[in-house]
Amino acid sequence: MSTPHSTRFEELLPAYALGALDGDDLRELEEHLAGGCEECRPQLALWEGDLEELAATIEPVQPSEVTRTRVLRLAGAGGAAAPAPAPLPATVRTPAWMKIAALLLLALAVWGLAGQARMAREVHALAEERDRLSRQVETLSQEVGRIRSESQRAELALSVLAAPGVQSVALAGLGPTPQAAGRTYVNPRSGDALFYAFGLPTLPEDKTYELWFFAGGKPVAAGTFGVDPRGTGSVRVERRIDPAQIQAWAVTIEPAGGLPQPSGAVVLKG
Amino acid sequence: MLMNRVAARDGVAFARLFELHAPVALGLLDRILGRRGEAEEVLQEAFLQVWMQADRYDEARSTPRGWILMLARSRALDRLRRRDSSRRREEAAGEEAAAEAAIFPLGTERLEHQERQRLVSSALGQLSPEQRRCIELAFFEGLTHTQIAERLEAPLGTVKSRILLGMNKLRQALSPSS
Repeated sequence: MSTPHSTRFEELLPAYALGALDGDDLRELEEHLAGGCEECRPQLALWEGDLEELAATIEPVQPSEVTRTRVLRLAGAGGAAAPAPAPLPATVRTPAWMKIAALLLLALAVWGLAGQARMAREVHALAEERDRLSRQVETLSQEVGRIRSESQRAELALSVLAAPGVQSVALAGLGPTPQAAGRTYVNPRSGDALFYAFGLPTLPEDKTYELWFFAGGKPVAAGTFGVDPRGTGSVRVERRIDPAQIQAWAVTIEPAGGLPQPSGAVVLKG
Repeated sequence: MLMNRVAARDGVAFARLFELHAPVALGLLDRILGRRGEAEEVLQEAFLQVWMQADRYDEARSTPRGWILMLARSRALDRLRRRDSSRRREEAAGEEAAAEAAIFPLGTERLEHQERQRLVSSALGQLSPEQRRCIELAFFEGLTHTQIAERLEAPLGTVKSRILLGMNKLRQALSPSS
């Protein structure tokens, strides 16, 4: 809805034509003119005409030949009216073609920056992928190591269990673990020995199970071991054993790391 | 009509248009910018715009010269606004001293043989120096009411009145009955 015409708007028109209007005056008049005021429009045209005449009273200044040539050439209007292009003097700064070239360079720079940002994102993604693959390789390496170790243990176990004349001793549960059981296997030819335990309870971190064999009436430490949640554990005896000299086997609970002499409760014996 | 031919991409017509109006346009640009090299640069831009947008010219609104001059003035004022403001103030201070003596380079002997221009010169002569100065700052430097008031350290209402009265005096002097 247009604001109604008033003398106030008429008084603002000359300053508006001059370009001097600002603030609320400018806003209100522009709103009024936007409403299509039939009275203000022609008056504004008259004021603009006055200013044109004012401008036309300026002392004329003849443009340089270079400016004339450049204008006609840039506009593609040379024809017979325009003389041949002349070299630019130092006073003619920033020719239009240079501005266009600058704009093109700017566009290329913007495009280049966008490309750099894109590339940076890709590099970042690739770095993340590399880290993920590195972690995967590390996990797989650990898995391979674990499998290799298990394979070696299985090989050893097989070499013991499948050896001709292997000797086995069963150990029975004692005291608080009557349901537990154990078994030793000794290769009499190589002296390698293995022990497997079943049904033993898990121990606190400061405790461990320790295997002993008795030779010459004295206990000899044969290795420590823990058990999994199912109560199963195993140990490979690190020293060579002569089964003919072994009188008995036993498992005790000892402090973590084990002791050279048994001190704790006997849970398996055989 | 020349403008119609220019709008139809007639190079010869454009060259003729340039010969007719470029000197006055350059005089105006030189007056606004105060630097000949820069004025010639803006003249090139303005006439390139004329060539590219000649089809937008409306003969009902202005003469070809008026259209070209307003277009050139607009570009010059844009250029002026981009200049370093502190340097501009220094230049303005220098101009202030000479303002009373040579506010408008108008009403010269050269213009007296042309009736219309004589009328303008006469009208300008009827303005008070203060009115002329306010109009000059708006027209040649693109300043607004508020900026003129700050520049002249005058009340805003006074500046508005000076411009309104000055423009009305010009109108009266330029009207056909005068």
